[in-house]
Amino acid sequence: MILQLKDLFKWVNSGGQRIFLLNDIDFTVNEGEFISIMGPSGSGKTTLLNVIGMLDNFNEGEYTFLEESVHTLKEKHRAKLYKEYIGFVFQSYHLIDELTVYENIETPLLYKNYKSSERKAMVADMLDRFNIVGKKELFPSQLSGGQQQLVGIARALVSNPKLILADEPTGNLNSTQSEEIMELFKTLNRQGVTIIQVTHSESNAAYGSRTLHLKDGVIVNTH
Amino acid sequence: MLRNYFKIAWRNLIKRKVFTTINILGLAIGFSSSVLIYLFISHHLSFDTFHEDSDKIYRVTTEEDMGQIHRLATAPPGFAKVFREEFDYAHKVAKIVRQTNLIIDVPKANGTAKFKQDLSFVEADFFKIFNFPLVDGSHNVDISHPNTALITAQKALELFGQKDVVGETFVLNNDKTIKITGVLKDVPKTTFLNTEIFISFQNVKAIGNFMASESWGGITSNLQCFISLKPKQDIAAIETALLELPKKYRPRAKNKHIYRLQPLSDIHFNTDYGGLSPTFLIIFGVIGFFLISIASINFINISTAQAFYRSKEIGVRKVLGSLKQHLFWQFLVETFLISVLAAIIGIVVTALVLPAFNNLFELELSLKSLFEFKFIAFFSVLLGIVSLLAGSYPGILIARIAPVLALKGKLNAHDTGGAFTRKVLVVTQFSIAIILIVATLVISKQITYAVNGDLGFEKASVVMFDIPPKTKQTTLNTLKARLKNTTGIQDVSSCFGSPGAAENNWGITVKYNNRPENEAFSTTLKAGDIEYLKLFKIPVIAGRSFFNDDKTKEILVNEKFVKNLGLTSVEDVLGKSLQLQGQNTTIVGVFKNFHNQKFTKEIEATIITPHHKWYREIAVKLNYANTKTTLAQIDDIWHETFPNDIFEYRFLDERVAEQYETEQQYLALSKLFSGLAIFIGCLGIYGLILFFINQRIKEIGVRKILGSSIKSILTLFSIDFIKLILIAGVIATPIAWYVMEQWLQGYVYRTQLSWRPFAIAILSTLLLTLVTISYQTIKAAMANPIKSLRTE
Ligand SMILES: Nc1ncnc2c1ncn2[C@@H]1O[C@H](COP(=O)(O)OP(=O)(O)OP(=O)(O)O)[C@@H](O)[C@H]1O
Ligand SMILES: [Mg+2]
Repeated sequence: MILQLKDLFKWVNSGGQRIFLLNDIDFTVNEGEFISIMGPSGSGKTTLLNVIGMLDNFNEGEYTFLEESVHTLKEKHRAKLYKEYIGFVFQSYHLIDELTVYENIETPLLYKNYKSSERKAMVADMLDRFNIVGKKELFPSQLSGGQQQLVGIARALVSNPKLILADEPTGNLNSTQSEEIMELFKTLNRQGVTIIQVTHSESNAAYGSRTLHLKDGVIVNTH
Repeated sequence: MLRNYFKIAWRNLIKRKVFTTINILGLAIGFSSSVLIYLFISHHLSFDTFHEDSDKIYRVTTEEDMGQIHRLATAPPGFAKVFREEFDYAHKVAKIVRQTNLIIDVPKANGTAKFKQDLSFVEADFFKIFNFPLVDGSHNVDISHPNTALITAQKALELFGQKDVVGETFVLNNDKTIKITGVLKDVPKTTFLNTEIFISFQNVKAIGNFMASESWGGITSNLQCFISLKPKQDIAAIETALLELPKKYRPRAKNKHIYRLQPLSDIHFNTDYGGLSPTFLIIFGVIGFFLISIASINFINISTAQAFYRSKEIGVRKVLGSLKQHLFWQFLVETFLISVLAAIIGIVVTALVLPAFNNLFELELSLKSLFEFKFIAFFSVLLGIVSLLAGSYPGILIARIAPVLALKGKLNAHDTGGAFTRKVLVVTQFSIAIILIVATLVISKQITYAVNGDLGFEKASVVMFDIPPKTKQTTLNTLKARLKNTTGIQDVSSCFGSPGAAENNWGITVKYNNRPENEAFSTTLKAGDIEYLKLFKIPVIAGRSFFNDDKTKEILVNEKFVKNLGLTSVEDVLGKSLQLQGQNTTIVGVFKNFHNQKFTKEIEATIITPHHKWYREIAVKLNYANTKTTLAQIDDIWHETFPNDIFEYRFLDERVAEQYETEQQYLALSKLFSGLAIFIGCLGIYGLILFFINQRIKEIGVRKILGSSIKSILTLFSIDFIKLILIAGVIATPIAWYVMEQWLQGYVYRTQLSWRPFAIAILSTLLLTLVTISYQTIKAAMANPIKSLRTE
């Protein structure tokens, strides 16, 4: 078991009303799983992923990550978890504007204290794999949405995370690219990487070992 | 990692050019000021530190008790010999007599060239006490024989046109021929010694028998006595032993002497003996600290405001595994980069303004000192501290940003924090600026009051020049008569010295009305002929002026003199006798008090008497028209009367103003630094406003950006900043009031502090801020909104 959410609630108060963003979530992820989260827009998919990724907090319930209770974690410890386990792919890419493609991909390695030569090799490998070698000196603003998304994925994968959290990783990609990414995820998953992805596409979801359906912050069914 | 930090830092700087410029400009000014102030302070601290065993060198001073204690950096002429022979404390003892404006004739290919020079008569041991070596580095000076001299290389070049002048001769005072026996290395600027020509002490007779004698009868400030003590001496014990000397050598003297030893290091900083006030340096240091603080505050303010721009980057980095300290250091590197750029510009600016600065303070600070280890150490530390102080607070704020808010783009400037701190810092900046402006205004008012105010005598269009020594009375009278007949000249008077000439002060003790004892107060003696009162427009308020020069022994006293005698009516002193300098005189009149000295000093009891032997100067009151031709005519007449002399004149009002040299320096400084402070402050406001506008534009969205909405935003900001400046005014007023009240306490005669300088300071600060803001309005109104959205 890698993580477990138990009776988890997240809400915001608006105009005296309590609006539930996540409502009584019970959810366990085991090592080596490939989970897809689906649901209409605004159903709370990103919110859930952010909570899982410890980017966002929750109001009630319990969340255990690698045997540790998340709400007791210090920020320092959390940073360590990010560094060692988690790779994020954001829905809106979140590339660092001031860095080139190459540097964006390199950044997680810097924090992991890889040697310069190792970094070079690992980044080159990613550039190669995503077919963006020619773009490595460009800045995010010089890329198309799809290209930015590829860089975002490359950055999440470069440090070989054990858990990948991907928020609509292929939303801006064409179907061929999209399939390639899914194949890549599948390969990684077979090598033991746990993956949780949010997707709108049934065919993408099909790559996963199980799918979670979300509606108004509630898990409606899993299969 | 570090390389990566630098790379990102550099890109950030390039990307936000305006903010970068504001930050760098402000810090560069701060650095430049700090460097100048450092050079200035270290210049003063390095005075006379280059002598061997300089901590064993002392100057003898005399405390003369004449009712009040007078401290003089001198000893009786006989002191040196006695100290040398009767005690065993000293390694060496040497006398030096300083003399100004002596005539020197230097032989030239076509006749001789005349110079007016300041020089010193010294005993040979002087060069064994102090480290003023010959050009070859040795100390083998030969100046013990009569008619020998040493000269510095610089002076040699000036007088002889070459540096190697050993064996050359010059004529002193149209009398003795003096041979140069050695050329000294140029005397550093950082020493008490301010002569470049040294003549054997054997020649001191030429300027006065008293100074050449071994007398204990009196003291003269021209003579100084230096001692290098043997190791491990107890100064207190020596001073106690010296208490016995007056009893032995001047048993009958009325004014008591106490001799003290003043350490060499104290000479430059002891105001009792004409040294510089250490407060001056402290104030300098504080101002430097203020300026660099104001600049750092700008940096902090702009950076914390900018944390908003950085939030997404920070959020992403955190998710990619960055620890707080990574982000903190990343920001510190950015600060450091800015600081270094600012430092480089600051140093360049320093190099450019150094000549003007030297000019202002009559210094010879050189850029060479910028390559000394001491400076490099100072500057590195300064750079480090500024980077750390300016960078750490924004760094902490940035590192604290919560990633999720940042990533969701829900963050506003408020969440990045620091809004309150920012306000506090702006208030601090403007408090400092207001204090400096108030100081400028008050100092300027006091100087104007002291220099242009009513000093009780006429000083406009009065020209002063020296009478050559040993001038006969008939020559003097003829000269005066000729001058009097010159068109353009209204009055002529010979005197010692003019009012407002404290450097020529002659303090004496007097005996009034045959009282048994001398009066306990010191009296300033002015010698002046019958034209004196008329020329200087000093009113006689009782009795009359004296009738004729010298015939009758008549004397005039001032109101203060009457008051010091304990009398209430000025009429009481008329007709009474007054004994001074062994002569009996009669008081015939009382004149109105005038300010002979600076406003820091109380008006002293003063007497005026005609006595041709004492005259040293001539005062000429010019008609207003055609000063130039009149001066040329005086020059001609002078040369016909004294063909062997050099004519040099000074205007009396300049002489009076010169008394306030330190104040003028204070003024120049506070003007400069308050100007810089307010400039840096406005630069900061400019940056903040620019930032807020950009942020608001983003919030409002493209469609709504119209001139009018920007105007309303700016109105809001204006009100905000007006509030902050008013708060700053409230904080600065009592501080400035206290500080300036303290400063004014140094003056016996001073202007009153009023609300005006405070109002001016606060209003001008407000005005400048509003100008800064409205400049922004105009720019924003004219700018293309789409464009302004892209360049942030
Ligand atoms: N801080 C917040 N305050 C108020 N409402 C919020 C907040 N964060 C998210 N929401 C709301 O919660 C709901 C779920 O948002 P979320 O981003 O998780 O949706 P989503 O399922 O990822 O949608 P999409 O498919 O469009 O990405 C939305 O209605 C959103 O407006
Ligand atoms: Mg979403």
